Amino acid sequence: MIELQQLNKSFGPIKAVDDLTLKVEKSTTVGFLGPNGAGKTTTIKILTNLIGATSGRALLNGVDVVSDPKMALAHVGAVVETPEFYPFLTPVETLSYLGRIRGMSPQDISSRTNEVLQQVKMEQWRSTRIGKFSKGMKQRLAIGQALLHEPDILILDEPTSGLDPRGMVEVRGIINDLKKEHYTIFMSSHLLGEVEETCDKAALIDHGKLLVYDDIDSLGKLTKVMKLEVVGSSAINDSVVGRISALPSVVQVERASQQTLVVTYEGSVESRGDLLKGVQAIGVNVISFSPVGLPLEALYMDLVKESR
Amino acid sequence: MTEELKAQRNVPSDISQLPVVWRYELLKYLRSWRLYASVIIVIAVMALLYLLPPLLGESYSGTDTGTEVLVTPTTTVPGMPDGPYTVYAVGVLNRSQIDVDSLVVYRDGAMYPFADGSNWFLSEVQYGSASVYTIVFLQNVTGSVITASYEWYISPESFETLFLNFASFLIIICATFFGADAIVSEFQNRTGYLVFPNPIKRSVLFLGKFSASVTAGFMVVTIFYAVLAVLSMISARGIDDDFLLSFGYAVEFLIAAMAVAYLISSVLKGSTGATVLTFFLFVMILPIIDSVSAFSGAKIEASLTFSADAMIHILADPYPVDQVVDFGPMILNSYYPDQVLAAVTMAAYALASLVLGMYLFNRKQLAG
Repeated sequence: MIELQQLNKSFGPIKAVDDLTLKVEKSTTVGFLGPNGAGKTTTIKILTNLIGATSGRALLNGVDVVSDPKMALAHVGAVVETPEFYPFLTPVETLSYLGRIRGMSPQDISSRTNEVLQQVKMEQWRSTRIGKFSKGMKQRLAIGQALLHEPDILILDEPTSGLDPRGMVEVRGIINDLKKEHYTIFMSSHLLGEVEETCDKAALIDHGKLLVYDDIDSLGKLTKVMKLEVVGSSAINDSVVGRISALPSVVQVERASQQTLVVTYEGSVESRGDLLKGVQAIGVNVISFSPVGLPLEALYMDLVKESR
Repeated sequence: MTEELKAQRNVPSDISQLPVVWRYELLKYLRSWRLYASVIIVIAVMALLYLLPPLLGESYSGTDTGTEVLVTPTTTVPGMPDGPYTVYAVGVLNRSQIDVDSLVVYRDGAMYPFADGSNWFLSEVQYGSASVYTIVFLQNVTGSVITASYEWYISPESFETLFLNFASFLIIICATFFGADAIVSEFQNRTGYLVFPNPIKRSVLFLGKFSASVTAGFMVVTIFYAVLAVLSMISARGIDDDFLLSFGYAVEFLIAAMAVAYLISSVLKGSTGATVLTFFLFVMILPIIDSVSAFSGAKIEASLTFSADAMIHILADPYPVDQVVDFGPMILNSYYPDQVLAAVTMAAYALASLVLGMYLFNRKQLAG
């Protein structure tokens, strides 16, 4: 379990993390979202003993990482940014080094090394010095080292950063597999689709403050501004567009094609039905009526806009 | 993962993590160009020091044939007790070591035998801090031309001193290569992102890395001393009595210099700055302080490089003492570090730098 209690971190006059309180329950996967400079990486760096906190507590399995980092990180695997490896070591030697630091036996290290290198598809590079690796290969290996000791908690800072699309899919696959093994995963990401696809819950922060923290499904319903794609059976003329714009809750209507409009409206998910009825009442023979973009994206934009 | 396996994966103690860090850090040096560069520097400089004097006409051994001995009439010989003989004169042989069995003395061109010590005998006489081979004449040789033939070789002290002047520079190179960027590179090269989120105290990382750096430096210094010992055996027919003490001082200076390099590495934010500052601190800044100390007449025992000179002076027999020579318009001070104080000073530098460096490393944040 991860628990942040009134966590604060200041860099001079700038408050990077502002009274952040958050609890990640055991065996859940939580996405940590926010724009650049929101305080995501700072929070993760505090959790992984890379920087200290100004005040507050950051508990990993009940142990404060600020006061006792060694015990707190005992069963934690972490990938923060894209770490650099010692170029003179091979993946096998790197995993052996980290495994020994984490108290694994040589036999245990050997068997787990084979497993994780297979898991992150790096078996063929096992004896090549890391100095020659690409950023994507290093990112895979970083994930591999985080999994080596089968930690209870995984902390991932933008785990698909630097990977090609195929690599991204593979990493998401790894995370989904880990979810099935009941890992507690806390991951930051810029990719809202990635969070929706892999996480049970999401926490949104901006200016170091927690804006919202809930289940992914519930978050989608929280958004006030949504976009809907309306497709008519025939061309929709400008006067009809004007009348749709005048409907209650409609913020904006954009034309995507002769037959297709993108309607931005403010309201709950349930009020979508009223909008559909209104459009049909104007005389549009609606053949398709569906949300555009991700619910989380809409909420993200909504909340971040509000907090700024 | 089974509970049994999980129970086996308890985080090791600090003490058992230390050799793990040491081992992999040392592997870094064993695979890096720096260690090989240091060894190449050792071999190149030693080859140069060994070969250059003979090439310039100053051999390490040879035979002097018919060399005139400058005879000085005297009745006393410094350091020699009165004996059942009368001293008439002394003649100095200007070589540091002589094969006594090969010595033949001539008086006016004719062999002038030892005659069981009734004509002359050879003695090592102490003139100030120098020990000089001296023929002590027990007969009046005034007016005679005395010549001698003998095999000579350089003394272990002179031979080793020639090389040891390079030892402190070699240690500075080791501190620069193996210590100057050891800490700062974890931040600058972002390897800290890999290592710090592990269950290991930064102080253990610091000490593990430090001991690996010292080990790498120790290997280089040991190679230097081992080669020097072999060369000394060949050229000076032995090694100086205080050779091992000199090695001890060299290792202590290595530890102290490495600790200072680690302190600098913990303070600065860039590898280049840390490397340059470490190097210039030892080759320029501290030696300037040592020079000013001699010039101003204020002996600064607290200088690390001044203390490190004990590794050279320890070979001198007896150990040199401070000298003040008045040349009239100027006074020339020659200071030598006290043997005990030098050891204490270097230990103090090592300890203070390690404690402070570790404290700063603990506080340093990977915020970039």
